[in-house]
Amino acid sequence: MTDLALALLSGAVGGILIGLTPRAGNRLRNIVALVFSAASTVFSWRVAGAVFAGRTIRISGEIAGLAWSLQPDPLGAVFGLIVSTLWLFAGVYSFGYMAGEHKQRTYYTYFLLAFSVTLGVAFSGNLLALYLFYELLTFATYPLVIHERTSEAMKAGAKYIIYSLSGAGAILIAIIIVYSWTGNLEFAGGPLLAGGGLRPGLGWVLALFVAGFGVKAAIMPLHRWLPAAMCAPTPVSALLHAVAVVYSGVYGILRVIYSVFGHELTGQLHVGRILPWVAAFTILAGVIIATQQDELKRRLAYHTVSQLSYILLGAFTLHPWGLAGAICHMISYSTLKVTLFFGAGIIAKRTGKVRVSEMSGVGWQLPRTMAAFGVASLGMIGMLPLNTFWSKYYLMRGGVATGKWQLALVLITSGLINAFCFIPTVVAAFAGERGQPTLETGSGTSLMLAPMLLLAGIALLTGLWPGLVWPGVDAVVDWFF
Amino acid sequence: MRATIEVHLPVFVVIMPLFVAFVLPTLARRIRLVEGVVTSTTVLWFLGAGYLASLVLIRNGNPIGYSLGGWPAPWGIELSVGSLSCLFLLMVAGVSLPVALFAAGNMAHEVGGPKRITRFYVLCLLLGGALAGMAVTSDLFNVFVLVEVATLSCCGLVSSRNHPLAAEAAFNYLILATLGSALILGGIGFLYIITGHLNMGFASQELNRIWQEYPHVVWMAVSFLLVGFGVKSALFPLHVWLPDAHSAAPSPASAILSGLAVKGYAICLIKVLYNVFGVALIQELGMHRILTLLGMIAITAGSLFALTQDKLKRRLAFSTVAQVGYIFLGLGLANSMSLAGTLFHMASHAVIKSGLFLAAGAIIATTGNDRISEMAGVGRQMPITMAAFTVCSVSLVGIPLFSGFIGKWNLLLGSLEAGNRLAQAVIILGSVLCAAYLFPIIRVAYFEPAPAADWQDPGLPQKTALILLAAGVILLGVAPGPFLELAKRAALDLLVMK
Repeated sequence: MTDLALALLSGAVGGILIGLTPRAGNRLRNIVALVFSAASTVFSWRVAGAVFAGRTIRISGEIAGLAWSLQPDPLGAVFGLIVSTLWLFAGVYSFGYMAGEHKQRTYYTYFLLAFSVTLGVAFSGNLLALYLFYELLTFATYPLVIHERTSEAMKAGAKYIIYSLSGAGAILIAIIIVYSWTGNLEFAGGPLLAGGGLRPGLGWVLALFVAGFGVKAAIMPLHRWLPAAMCAPTPVSALLHAVAVVYSGVYGILRVIYSVFGHELTGQLHVGRILPWVAAFTILAGVIIATQQDELKRRLAYHTVSQLSYILLGAFTLHPWGLAGAICHMISYSTLKVTLFFGAGIIAKRTGKVRVSEMSGVGWQLPRTMAAFGVASLGMIGMLPLNTFWSKYYLMRGGVATGKWQLALVLITSGLINAFCFIPTVVAAFAGERGQPTLETGSGTSLMLAPMLLLAGIALLTGLWPGLVWPGVDAVVDWFF
Repeated sequence: MRATIEVHLPVFVVIMPLFVAFVLPTLARRIRLVEGVVTSTTVLWFLGAGYLASLVLIRNGNPIGYSLGGWPAPWGIELSVGSLSCLFLLMVAGVSLPVALFAAGNMAHEVGGPKRITRFYVLCLLLGGALAGMAVTSDLFNVFVLVEVATLSCCGLVSSRNHPLAAEAAFNYLILATLGSALILGGIGFLYIITGHLNMGFASQELNRIWQEYPHVVWMAVSFLLVGFGVKSALFPLHVWLPDAHSAAPSPASAILSGLAVKGYAICLIKVLYNVFGVALIQELGMHRILTLLGMIAITAGSLFALTQDKLKRRLAFSTVAQVGYIFLGLGLANSMSLAGTLFHMASHAVIKSGLFLAAGAIIATTGNDRISEMAGVGRQMPITMAAFTVCSVSLVGIPLFSGFIGKWNLLLGSLEAGNRLAQAVIILGSVLCAAYLFPIIRVAYFEPAPAADWQDPGLPQKTALILLAAGVILLGVAPGPFLELAKRAALDLLVMK
């Protein structure tokens, strides 16, 4: 319990501390940020460890006549682990990337606050707490989206707020309806609605939930805010817009399907049967649009849209293998995508190039960056020595096991298009003339490069030994099936 | 002694501000003394209201009756203090206190010399007394008298600012409000003609016995009352006077007008509709559908108008139009959840909107302009003011753990119980639009590049007032306890036919 409270509070306290000390130097601020995010990470690891060991950790209370609770289960623990681990990497990367940027105090304040809030999403124990943190996440990350303060950034911020709040509104309606049916919003006691049979309007409630969380999970056509938000600094794009924020939407949908409706009930609803195809559409459309983008970060953003629906697809199959694939993909995709974004950030910082068409020769200037970038690209196709191979394998197995072999076909097609998406970039990067001086110098670059190489290494390692992540995946599947 | 106070407390909370209002002009030369008297009056008033509320809560919501002058009910005027009255009294006195603090020593630039300021306080106290009267009275003609007192003091408050626009706005308000008063008087007259009673309880019994004999008169009465109170509480599309009046008034007056006065008329309408007509008759007449529809239109239209305003106080004024829509929507849904939600939202909006207007007043007074687009940098240079503004905005949008959420949560439960899907969608739409018109202000204030100006938070009493209101918003959101209890009891009282 103490671990849980400390995990949530460390980030918030650190953020507020940074926010309230305008005179602190950059160096001191970085140290404070590092210490508090490391603390938060360690405590969330401890929480996750306790959850996997089968202990119940719970903080609950009644505020304003409504029950609120924090109680991580294996799914929450996995999400918390992903988020907290990657936050540490992104934090270190930020020290390199943000050096010399403006408004660093605001940046680190909200960077840490957002950490706390995301952990809140992961560890929430009932729908109300989930809703609260989901809503707060919008506000905690808004200042990061508009970091550049250009008119483009302001527009992106407005779009982000409006999309997210509308989604939250849909969720609130759905929560109210569930509350009026059950009078209880806790996740812990098995699926909330399972006992009530097929109530009229159940399909609508599911649709409202999926649409509401689907905004942050960037299900098409609710994805428009995500490419716009790419004007944020790269560590933010990497961590929040490829993992934390969008995963909170994905996580919400997983929660709704497995903890509120339950996989059996969802399977009996028409809406539940349509959902895999919505995800399949987003997978293909997202990656096809991605290949059309010239700006590297926008290409990565549309690619994120596509990849998030991999996870959703697995969840929507309502089959243990599908869910295993979804959880596995949550873990593996996040490591690779953050690597890709880190690479894009280093390229932009060191060479000033942001477009795919300008990449020729970059590989010789930034050899290690582009090597890691290339490894991650291969991962996005689903090649064997990388961890995404396994998640795709489970996903396809889930699709086939439920009799929807077409879903496997969608995944294979998407993998092929993925090859067109990134491999030409890597090839072009190494195509230009050799012998240019390397730009990977200076302590700033090594602060950016180290997390990137480490993450690519982790991706390779978990690809070679998928058993490393299997206990987590297994625990989640066991919990829900 | 204590027993005497307890017995006379219902009339004391009405008489006290009125009495002080009449004494105040004699002190006009000593403005410090005037301000001190006003502030201590509001403190005493708040304590009285709180004591009354605790008495009612101890009695499990049983109303405390009081016959004015010792004349019993059908002949004399009866005051009745139930949960509804207590909630409203607490809200009026609780908001008046910070507003009085804010006004202290801060009115010269908006109002003028000591005499004008004293007149301003007199009007405030008259309005407060009238609102308290509306809360406790259960006599129809008394309602009309109090409505008139309140209307005239509101007009005076609007015109008290030394600015040509204020006079014009006050005049427009006077014309429309008088029209509203005439309609209210007409409606009450119709009721008196067919029932022969002015006491709400007796009129209600008689009305429910005989209404089928006079269906047209009943229709006339209810539509006159709806339109009359609709004009006064700025129900869309009868709100046309409000944006001018509330933005032209001095800021503390705007806070009272938007936060309290508008709700006073709504309380009168609630009493007339639910205590005289009764929920069964309302539904028989189809009034609940009309109210719901009007509420939904008001929420949508008010919010959309608010979006297009660039002047800070006008945007807040249109936001009031939208929030009044929530009150009417909840009235129309006519079940215990929705009524509790409405009443709670009324109280929380009173605190929120006063906070917003006071913060806006402080900002406008410091920066010298009232355009949102020119507010860049306010967040850094006036941290406390802008923090209070932000807390109030977030609450109005309805983020959990702030007061706005609880009202909307109950309203949503109520619309679910009434089976009204559209109402749910509109409540949520209203929240999203509310974010759309309030957050840009916060964004400009905090995140846009600041000009090199030397702005500062207002003085200590003003800061205290803002902090009190922001704290109130959070307190109502985290621990609504007695307030929510009062709202729920009041909702049940309204639904039970006596």
